Amino acid sequence: MNLSVRMVTVLTSIGLLSGSFLATVGLLTQERIALNKQREIEAAIIQVVPGTYSSQRLYEEKDLSVYGGKDKEGTLIGFAIYASCIGFQDKITFMLGTNISFTRINSIKIIEQKETPGLGAKINDREFFLQYWENKDGSSPLRLRKPPVSSPEDLGPSEVNTITGATISSEAVLNTVNSTLERLRLLLKEGKLSSEEQDAN
Amino acid sequence: MPTKSIREEFVKGLWNENPVFRQLLGLCPTLAVTNAVINGFAMGIATAFVLIFSSLVISSIKKLIPSQVRIASYIIIIATFVTMADRFMAAFFPPISKSLGPYVPLIVVNCIILGRQEAFSSKNSVGRSLIDALGMSSGFVLAMLILSSIREILGMGTFLGHQVMGAWFKPWIIMILPPGAFITLGILLAIALQIERKTKSRK
Repeated sequence: MNLSVRMVTVLTSIGLLSGSFLATVGLLTQERIALNKQREIEAAIIQVVPGTYSSQRLYEEKDLSVYGGKDKEGTLIGFAIYASCIGFQDKITFMLGTNISFTRINSIKIIEQKETPGLGAKINDREFFLQYWENKDGSSPLRLRKPPVSSPEDLGPSEVNTITGATISSEAVLNTVNSTLERLRLLLKEGKLSSEEQDAN
Repeated sequence: MPTKSIREEFVKGLWNENPVFRQLLGLCPTLAVTNAVINGFAMGIATAFVLIFSSLVISSIKKLIPSQVRIASYIIIIATFVTMADRFMAAFFPPISKSLGPYVPLIVVNCIILGRQEAFSSKNSVGRSLIDALGMSSGFVLAMLILSSIREILGMGTFLGHQVMGAWFKPWIIMILPPGAFITLGILLAIALQIERKTKSRK
């Protein structure tokens, strides 16, 4: 066989074979991968909106999803906001739980972060960061307390602690929370977050 | 052509031609993911899977591939197995897949794998290529385990997540950061070189 014909034939067949092989692998695993992701999100919603019995996605755009948490009777008890921001190293993805008017923060859970271990990675540590985000007044923009205090009681209602040595990570989360809450309050006012509307779709 | 015994073919990957300590190949994942034993081990196993299966496939179809397109063919075959390993990990071991992040897809460009295909599988029988791949994989997993054990124990005071150092121990955070990887690898390479020299001078 002519060399160039042989080259084309061999490369094409290898490509076709691995392509079909991978398509099969993709089909076999995609369901489970999607399920893993969904489970992770559901677990996070229950954690940040305590008492959630069922949840539903109400709004979605790039880097922002809003889930409504409902209790057993089907009453909306809070929102879980899945958002991300740029930290010191890479994207920080988190889930923020609020009341039904986006004015009170229940708690925050970090889903994914690659911050510096020992410094910025403390945003995923209850002792250094997460406990200072519980039950905060989010009706006006939150502020960072700098230098940090050692007990959540020492903070004002709309103040959160900074992590020593990781102001950038703390600020990144704070700024995104502030701007997201403001945006979502506006969307809520415009009626773009009602669950009934989504049910019809 | 083959002059080595099967046993020698396997054992050479563990020490004499150890991919990390002797050939200095595949250092990117070695440095990047050895911050915890579980990550290093998972990376080693994923790489081993890709290396073993690529060697099997390539050594069995080596006669069909024209030498002009051999590298392209090898890369497609390697990439297929890498994608498989990546999807499989994402489906069944999501936490590990998450912590390894982009380093699983990057196995495609791991020089150990392409290097073994070019230097070995494309010239040897299927059986010998399998033994070679098994040896090299074991050598790589071993290197990953040594490096990640040192880094996790010194950097966090834990081994596989279990506390092994007493309360007096203050973790050396630098060991789980990139500089710790370079320092550990540097010291291990120096030790490996020293051992090599000693055994040579004895001969």
